[in-house]
Amino acid sequence: MIDRSKDFFGDMNDIIVARRLTKRFGHFTAVDAVDFHIKQGEVLGLLGPNGAGKTTTIKMMTGLLRITSGSVWVKGYEVTKNLNKIKKFIGYMSQKFSLYPLLNAYENIEFCGGVSGVPRKIIKEKKELITKEIPREILTQRVKDIPPGIRQRVALFSCLISDPEIILLDEPTSGVDPEVRREFWAKIYDLKKKGKTILVTTHNLDEAEYADRILIIHKGRIILDGEPSELMRAEKAESMERLFRKAVTGHEAN
Amino acid sequence: MLAVKNLFKAFDSIRAVDGVSFSAQRGKITIIAGADGAGKSTIFKIILGLIKKDRGEIFIDDSPINGNFSRVTDITGYMPERFSLYTDLTVEENMDFFADIQRVETGRKKELKNRLLERTGMLPFRKRRAGALSGGMKQKLALSAILLSSPEVLILDEPTTGVDPLSRIEFFKIMDDLKKEGKTIVMATPYLDEAEKGDFIVFIRKGKNIKQGGIREIKDNFPEKMFRILPAGNIFETLKELNSKKEVRAHFYIRGRYIKCLFSGDSGFLAGIKAKEIREEKPSLEDIYLYYERGVRDD
Repeated sequence: MIDRSKDFFGDMNDIIVARRLTKRFGHFTAVDAVDFHIKQGEVLGLLGPNGAGKTTTIKMMTGLLRITSGSVWVKGYEVTKNLNKIKKFIGYMSQKFSLYPLLNAYENIEFCGGVSGVPRKIIKEKKELITKEIPREILTQRVKDIPPGIRQRVALFSCLISDPEIILLDEPTSGVDPEVRREFWAKIYDLKKKGKTILVTTHNLDEAEYADRILIIHKGRIILDGEPSELMRAEKAESMERLFRKAVTGHEAN
Repeated sequence: MLAVKNLFKAFDSIRAVDGVSFSAQRGKITIIAGADGAGKSTIFKIILGLIKKDRGEIFIDDSPINGNFSRVTDITGYMPERFSLYTDLTVEENMDFFADIQRVETGRKKELKNRLLERTGMLPFRKRRAGALSGGMKQKLALSAILLSSPEVLILDEPTTGVDPLSRIEFFKIMDDLKKEGKTIVMATPYLDEAEKGDFIVFIRKGKNIKQGGIREIKDNFPEKMFRILPAGNIFETLKELNSKKEVRAHFYIRGRYIKCLFSGDSGFLAGIKAKEIREEKPSLEDIYLYYERGVRDD
């Protein structure tokens, strides 16, 4: 299943492994020699203040951003050397849902499927599939005119069109309301059930508890890694907010 | 302090605000919670006289304003969802501008400006252009600007949307201080975990008030029980098993490694479930909102 090259550090269950992964922009170190691994089938929450390095980390995992030093492996393939291979494994939904605002939902799905190399026949099937979920009148409107909750569903749908094994979602729930958020997480668990590996970044600390495991990242470093309720217990924090505050202020004091 | 009674507003055939009443007290945070498009912003704009209402009345200290919206605006600081800061001006220049349009006396201006920037933690950034501020800092500058008129009432429309967790924590610390000073704070939010920090809550759905009251009372009087189950085996199998119990009217969802279970009546059906841990816990405001929302969804 996993092609282990000889310099691969993770174990068999790790679908993603980062080793001293670093990104510098000029003198600014956005991601500072982080080590982490993501297990196959895991729902991982990536949390941190703005500018902590969350998006930069994701972009390095997808090959969208050049790595300054260190490495990241996706299914055993080192990203920088295997860009075309790893692209097939990954579905990425960037912040603000990355849809083309002047195209309608169908056009966005077609485009997204097209660039991911999904056969026309399947794209057509997928379009029929989404029409069962969302009315056609809405899907034919320009994406910028449809409500954020539906926009988010269309973006997720587009991201999943190539049936990727690894799904990276950058702030997928920002600006959406409680019903949509709850449905969104139900969908995430459906994907997990199918064995997908999912990484989600969020600004909503309360959502972190949906993850099997969280990484809190601050100033380019991982300052906490674990299962949310165990971390709260270990750090004697009664809420995720307390845990977060404790971790971040503790890190700053050091 | 501020109250509305039976507010109605329709835009053509859409009933944007459909009979909303609530009152906001001094020294308390009143949360207006609801989905996007539920009517939260419209309610605020009606209160401020920016949108004409079809029916209903607004009260200040129990007396109807009778169309005299300056009674509201004279004592209110309003922060719309997108507060217009001048991106080419510095933090300090923005404050000067807002102080001038709010007619802050020249003698007091400097002291007041510095005091407000200090309290919101923006003083170190006073020379920075507003356009170069992060989302959280912009929000703090906007808050500083509306505090220049020393308002008694603060109306804040989704002040934390798109703001990162650290800035949110800081923002609510400031809210706590303002509360202690006796300000009346009315805040719209789609995030119910944040709503937990309020004192009163009004749940709005499609322009209608579906539930309201003191947050503690709503929680204490909530008719259903909430359990948290840590399955012994595969979580999806356990969920399937729970869902197959047709006789049980309960609502289940997965949250991390737990199954959350909301139901009324006897908890006997949980006895046969293979679990490492079953624990009763207090439902969150999100659980409560979604419960009432499910109740009216098919209207």
